[in-house]
Amino acid sequence: MSAPPRAPKKPTEDAPDSGSRSVVQSLVDRTGSPLALGLTVVLLVVFVAGAIDTDNFLTASNIRSVLRTSAYVGILATGLTFVTISGNFFLLSLNEMAMVASVSFVTFIAMGFGFVGSLLAVMVIAGLIGALQGMIVGFGGNPIVVTLGAAGVLFGVASAFSNNEVLPMTRPHPAEWLGSGLLAGVPAITWTFLLVVIAGDLVLRHSRFGRTVTLIGANKEAGKLIGLHPLRTSISVFAISSCAGALVGIMVSSQLSQGGVELFADAVGPGGDLTIGAIAAVMVGGTAIHGGEGSVLRSALGAVFIAAINNMMVLRGFTNGPRLLFVGMAVVLGVTVYALSRRGQS
Amino acid sequence: MSASTSVPATSDATRSHLLKRVLREPQLPFIAVLTVIMWVGFAATTDNYGSFNGVFALGTTLTTVGLASLGLTVTIIAGEIDLSIGTNAALASVIAVQFSDSLGALGAVLLAITVSSLIGAFNGFGIAKLRVSSLMFTVGMLTVLWGAARIVSGERTVTLTNFEFGDFLKERWWIFSPTLVIVLLAVLAVAMFLRYHKYGREIYAVGGARKEAIAAGISLTRPMVIAFLIAGACAGLAGALVGQRGGSASPDGLQAILLTGTTAAFVGGASIRGGRGSGFGALFGAIAVAVLSVGLSFRGTPQYLQSAWIGALLVTVVLIEIVAQRIDTANTRREVLQKVSGTRARQGPAPPKET
Repeated sequence: MSAPPRAPKKPTEDAPDSGSRSVVQSLVDRTGSPLALGLTVVLLVVFVAGAIDTDNFLTASNIRSVLRTSAYVGILATGLTFVTISGNFFLLSLNEMAMVASVSFVTFIAMGFGFVGSLLAVMVIAGLIGALQGMIVGFGGNPIVVTLGAAGVLFGVASAFSNNEVLPMTRPHPAEWLGSGLLAGVPAITWTFLLVVIAGDLVLRHSRFGRTVTLIGANKEAGKLIGLHPLRTSISVFAISSCAGALVGIMVSSQLSQGGVELFADAVGPGGDLTIGAIAAVMVGGTAIHGGEGSVLRSALGAVFIAAINNMMVLRGFTNGPRLLFVGMAVVLGVTVYALSRRGQS
Repeated sequence: MSASTSVPATSDATRSHLLKRVLREPQLPFIAVLTVIMWVGFAATTDNYGSFNGVFALGTTLTTVGLASLGLTVTIIAGEIDLSIGTNAALASVIAVQFSDSLGALGAVLLAITVSSLIGAFNGFGIAKLRVSSLMFTVGMLTVLWGAARIVSGERTVTLTNFEFGDFLKERWWIFSPTLVIVLLAVLAVAMFLRYHKYGREIYAVGGARKEAIAAGISLTRPMVIAFLIAGACAGLAGALVGQRGGSASPDGLQAILLTGTTAAFVGGASIRGGRGSGFGALFGAIAVAVLSVGLSFRGTPQYLQSAWIGALLVTVVLIEIVAQRIDTANTRREVLQKVSGTRARQGPAPPKET
């Protein structure tokens, strides 16, 4: 077990380190708040020491598994980053959106829509559900409250539609490759994660739409004055985020060949449920809660970081309780660092 | 509710002033009427709902919904929200059950409430000192407390061995139970504190007009710590009572009280923009939500559909608030315009006389 994985040990060990170094670098550049920097450094030292000290953590297969586990939360965090940057905080309905998508995807497949047809149909539904939430928020509703209510409604709808049962998919089904396929030795789930992150990053940084979202998040009034539409923006970002939630629901269903609400109740360990995990990833990634600033790449890195901590603690024999506690503490610490660095800035 | 509504009521504007009060005040009479209609509707169509047992069941549901609503209302008045209220309550319920043997039931309950209150105070302190959004801070604490609840319970559902105190909580005093009396006393205490105590007024001040309040010399820390301490105490009391009454506690339970509590708080007239809401409003909202959810239960509606109804109610309340806010802004603008044009008309002929 020890001989073959030694070869990829070096590059993989560098991967999280180089990413975090850029975070530290940007912290130094932006802030000069020694406490914030100190907290970040302590967290990273603990993480690196843990990575080296934990048996079987830095092996190729384990790193693959970390990347696969982080994919779901990472995709959600990518979508959520748009909402957060646009100044609309979070969605609390992501997990429930994934439930609805899972149930409806399995139903569409069973109806013989095929993979592409079902995917598109689910995405349209998700886009509409997201757009509706975005519209209410755009008219002046509080995003947290609106999506909390929406979460209740979507949970009820998904449960009622599936009769609160797990719907099996007859195998082989057309979505099998997405859930368990491999391409060049890397799971399709990880490829999807990568594609979504790259696409999200390109759109956010290099498209007109991405810049609109950032500007409106930074200064809504200024955006209005130069002729942008905050309402349209909030509709779009909520639709994007909901589609990310739906994609995760589809991927979970493809992987487990099942659809249902139960799959999302406690399926995804890291931050408790998917929604909380995605919010944690965005916040650990340091996206500004007040909008106008943030990065899809950092959110994705946050998701990988949380999944890595989680995986490390599993390997060291910790149960769910301490894992949740630690992830929560990482978030609180991230918030503290964020607050201190912002104060150093002003 | 706050002093900002003191627009002088001129004789010609009495009607619009009345409309403004209805739009701006927590609509308690409206909610009360709606609740009664809802209750009569359920009672007429559902077996047993109007009976003694049905009313008693309402009181039981009111324990969690009422306390969650009360705690959330206080933080919403302060212009923030405590997302960790569900897991804080779960932690309290686990503590109240787990330590019942070693500390005695009452000791365990007091320990649970103390721990939850201190966590709440910590939330408030962190939010005020770091000047971060309560959303960020409490979403992190949500996960921390979830983990803590699982650690305390040893990752499983814990059960009581001595049911004496739990049975006492379930006793019936006419339509009241000891639990309900405790909840009503908590509501009364918090409502009085918010309305009449200086520190309670400070919570309204930092919620309704934070910059002005700080400029006027109010520290942000004290009202924040007090508001979140009350929220933590409510969560702790709810968790402890539920754990003792039910005889068991799950570290993953009670998270749904965030949805029901928030719905109740907004139905009860709290405004997300802060500075508005009251302790009795929280109770009225909770009664409305309890009437709905117990009604659905009595009709055999599954739990998941109840959450759909309550979620829909929350979204509806938000929509109503948006519309009311828009009408209110339009009215204010019209009034100001009228006033401005009125003074101009009066000032028009005035200068020649003075000179």
